[in-house]
Amino acid sequence: MKNDQLTQIWDSQKKGSPLTNSGRIIKKANNLRKRQFIGVAVMSTTVLVLLAYAAYYTSNHWNDFTLGLVLMISSLTFRVILEFVSLYRKESQLISLDSTAFKDYLKRHYKRRLNINYFITPLCFAIYVYGFLKLLPYFKQAFSTGFYNYILISGFISLLVIAVIIVNGIIKENKFLKELKN
Amino acid sequence: MDTEREFTEVYNTYASKVYRLCLGYVSGDEDLANEWQQQTFIKVWKHRKSFKGKSAISTWIYRIAVNTCLGDLRKSKKHVVINETIPASDATDNENERQGEEIEKMYHCIGQLSKNNKALILLELEDIPQATIAETLGLAHGAVRTRLSRIRKTLLKCITNEK
Repeated sequence: MKNDQLTQIWDSQKKGSPLTNSGRIIKKANNLRKRQFIGVAVMSTTVLVLLAYAAYYTSNHWNDFTLGLVLMISSLTFRVILEFVSLYRKESQLISLDSTAFKDYLKRHYKRRLNINYFITPLCFAIYVYGFLKLLPYFKQAFSTGFYNYILISGFISLLVIAVIIVNGIIKENKFLKELKN
Repeated sequence: MDTEREFTEVYNTYASKVYRLCLGYVSGDEDLANEWQQQTFIKVWKHRKSFKGKSAISTWIYRIAVNTCLGDLRKSKKHVVINETIPASDATDNENERQGEEIEKMYHCIGQLSKNNKALILLELEDIPQATIAETLGLAHGAVRTRLSRIRKTLLKCITNEK
């Protein structure tokens, strides 16, 4: 009888009427798919252009400027691709595993993410910053002092913002992993 | 479930249950529950071709719903405040307020359970058969029964203690 008390309380809440309809869900899903496709297309084009650019300049005018540019774009592209793969794997497990198995998968997933967070991401970030530093002498030569200072300040502020976002993400994932283990 | 008509049928059948399941997971945070419900059905539509019918469609949908709630890093922004004193007003208001209080207490108590136990009790409260719960969570039927009885006792104790 006492058990029924829980069900009664639960049923007394207002009925969870869906706030949207199936048509809007389908539309959202299709838009999401389109955006993902565009994202992958842009990423693939970037990689192809980068490869073509590197291939051309390696034999002709390879210098610190091209090196810096290639380092920046390739480290960023590599990290973004890694993120895509990680998300894709997580979703494919989410739809196919029962919840106990999925919880175990999440523990493994976020343990693997520790390696990405503590080694690969800082390495990519360091390569990105190194690439940016390689570009600075060329910017100084090519632009006015005012514009160069603008690039310098906005560049470092952007790097700081990216670093804060990365650290926040890492803290969140670590907390989540701890919760899963508990 | 290949056509939009079939998906609509599935959506109309399970959307409310999934919403309330998510609502229980996030202690009544309606915004997050609504988002998780939508994400669940976006995944159902997106991966509909990968559903081979090895389990019932309900089991597949509840799995996606529970896993979506389980795997999201975001936390509920809602803090359940337990109000001990109910101000006197007319009978209907009092009744509504009492029910509101009770459900808030229940969210609070469910919030203290482990992630898996939350899923267990929420599915049970939505009147989902224990065999489906067992398959959704990957547990033996017997284990589901035992754990549910324990969770119900804990919940009742929690709710009663706070009254």
